Amino acid sequence: MENEKKKLIQFRNVQKSFDDQIILKGIDLDIYENEFVTLLGPSGCGKTTLLRILGGFLDQDEGEILVDGKDITKLPPYKRELNTVFQKYALFPNMNVYENIAFGLRLKKVSDDIIEQKVMRMLRLIGLEGYEKREITQLSGGQQQRVAIARALVNEPNVLLLDEPLGALDLKLRKEMQYELKRIQQEVGITFIFVTHDQEEALTMSDKIVVMKEGEIQQVGSPTEIYNEPANAYVASFIGESNIIPGIMVKDELVRFDETDFECIDKGFRTNEPVDVVIRPEDINLVPYNQGKLNGTVESVLFKGMLNEVVVETVPGTHVTVNMHITEESANQVDDGHIHISGNSFYLDVEDMEGIEEKDLIARADAQAWNDETDEQLSIEKVETNLEDKIGTYTITFTTQNNLSITKTIQVVDQQVVRNQKKNEGVSAFDFFKSKDEIEESIALDTDLKTWANAQGWKLDNEDQSVNLTVTYDFDPENIETGIYPITFWTTGREFKVHTTANVKEGVEVGLDFKPEDIHVMEKEGFIS
Amino acid sequence: MKTWRRLAIPYLIWGTGMLLLPMLLIVFYSLIQPGNEVTTFRFTLDNYIRFFTDPDFLLILWRSLTIAIETTAICLLLGYPIAYWISRCSKKTQNLMVLAITLPMWINMLVRTYAWIGILSKGGPLSIVLSWFGIKDAEILYTQAAVLIGMVYNYLPYMILQIHSSLTKMDPSLEEAASDLGASPFQTFWRVTFPLSIPGVISGITLVFLPAISAFFIPKLLGGGGWFLIGNVIENQFITVGEWNFGSAISVIMAMIMMLLMSLVRKADRKASQKEKNA
Repeated sequence: MENEKKKLIQFRNVQKSFDDQIILKGIDLDIYENEFVTLLGPSGCGKTTLLRILGGFLDQDEGEILVDGKDITKLPPYKRELNTVFQKYALFPNMNVYENIAFGLRLKKVSDDIIEQKVMRMLRLIGLEGYEKREITQLSGGQQQRVAIARALVNEPNVLLLDEPLGALDLKLRKEMQYELKRIQQEVGITFIFVTHDQEEALTMSDKIVVMKEGEIQQVGSPTEIYNEPANAYVASFIGESNIIPGIMVKDELVRFDETDFECIDKGFRTNEPVDVVIRPEDINLVPYNQGKLNGTVESVLFKGMLNEVVVETVPGTHVTVNMHITEESANQVDDGHIHISGNSFYLDVEDMEGIEEKDLIARADAQAWNDETDEQLSIEKVETNLEDKIGTYTITFTTQNNLSITKTIQVVDQQVVRNQKKNEGVSAFDFFKSKDEIEESIALDTDLKTWANAQGWKLDNEDQSVNLTVTYDFDPENIETGIYPITFWTTGREFKVHTTANVKEGVEVGLDFKPEDIHVMEKEGFIS
Repeated sequence: MKTWRRLAIPYLIWGTGMLLLPMLLIVFYSLIQPGNEVTTFRFTLDNYIRFFTDPDFLLILWRSLTIAIETTAICLLLGYPIAYWISRCSKKTQNLMVLAITLPMWINMLVRTYAWIGILSKGGPLSIVLSWFGIKDAEILYTQAAVLIGMVYNYLPYMILQIHSSLTKMDPSLEEAASDLGASPFQTFWRVTFPLSIPGVISGITLVFLPAISAFFIPKLLGGGGWFLIGNVIENQFITVGEWNFGSAISVIMAMIMMLLMSLVRKADRKASQKEKNA
């Protein structure tokens, strides 16, 4: 159907950079007559720059823009037959509502009675009859918005450009204006190019959405196409709620993720091509355990008005539990009058022994020396140890310049790594020693615990890619006693968001079911096919 | 609130003592008969009558008014394009330009005016430049032109800074909007930019006109004895002649004239914007 329509605006390889920073990387885009087109993307994606180039307020570095087949690159804004609604409306404060709307017509030397007719018609269109004598400052944000639209539309442009025009309005007004804008566009029957970062706004109003990221178009399509057939994980996550899972396309109509093969309806990928899979939360049904395609445990249930947002964990995360030995302050500290030195015993992995330096040992022991009178930090002058490159127990002595020293032990162990093949993750952490006051004085305990235990998570297929760890413990950091406490470090499992009207309880085991057509397979972002 | 208001009392006392009281004293002086008696005095309008019946004083008043108006007009015509041009530069250049304009003000005005004597005198730089154009032995110093040059030189920065600040405060998207609606750069300037910069123009005019009309050392230095302005008359009455009552009367008359002119300017501005709105 679109082929029957006339191409109104054609962007051909439009490029732009500011101060060596590339804002637009060669935009090719066709816009047709009588379309409501939305340029959608986060701030800094280049959408406003593209609009300003079209309006004539910026020059592109390369490429051309054709309007009705004619290159308009060289035309200044006042010779372009399109009009703009600016972000902050840009109404002329020295003129009233009537004069603002009449501005363009007065420049064209239209006679006064025609101007009056047209301005009055515009005021009716925007629902502000009787406001013509009002000053701009007497108008609310929504009214100013309407006047700005009228001021542009009265010139009868072929295209109206709108630069985030609803951004300054409150939520209720924004919703109202969304319908209002759509109504106006349908009534006047011209092309609207609308810039926004609000995906909901884009879905509500547009005939066509152009999703942009970092100066590139990610996808062009109708709201339903963009929602149901996102081109990549970026588009899927930007538009609506989604579950995005990395997977592999085994063959046409068969995709594998989380070590399970699923039938789907997508084809045309290479054999075993890495892909991203998206399943929308509303496309998943909760079924009894073992009756769906996946099983999992309900992690959380969030009431969202019409429905519940249920998070189901199908693959557990990776857990590692270590022991925290809590000692009295005195056990870790030696003093000589005002001079203090402290340090902890610690564990080392036999695999990490290679190339270990004094400063690493000081850091692992958290060895510190200070003068409590002057509050001055003192340096550790000497580190003596009988540490060897094999499993065993060793001693280490730290000495300050004042010859005050503390001796602790190092346990060299063969550290167990917890490997989770299904989630492609490894996690490791060490037992550690701390005194009561170190726990009490910690400002960011979770972070400190990770540091003290040297807790790490990584992808098994790529050790440089780290995985976020969460820490849980069962003690009161404000009132801790000496003893041994288990600390667990864990990664989040595979979670599916499900939108359902069903009521489930947290912790219940359920099955997840979805149809082959609900699985949408996408190319990996930035993957050159 | 009450306790905060009490904090304003010192300022009120200061303001009354330093601003209101001296002004009232001047008005009082202008209304009494000459003489040095403080305890016995007689109210009279003689001082005012004397001023308005003496054609010499009226001539000087007229001359002061014209030269102040000329100064203001030249400052506006020179200052607006400069301010406009500065406001179009990058932020960094703008700061540099504003600094360059304010820099001379760090030096005493008297010293700067003295410097002009050298520039304008016979055989000075200006007459050399003029001689290249075939104007030989131009007499500039101690003419009305010299006074005008000195005034414009001294007061131009106030005009530029006021207009510049009103231009930079303007939302740049207003000009874009005008252009978007079909206004050529010329039309954009006259329909949007200039009307919106009028507050800056008005305060620029005020800041130039008021000191220009009461200037006394610029005409004294650059006009020699020949270009007496009203400021010189007042100075003379107070310092040389010692007729404080007459000097006070002239001061009050000047204050009245300034107030009148300023209110006219403001009224004209209001009317202009009113007209725009009702058009």
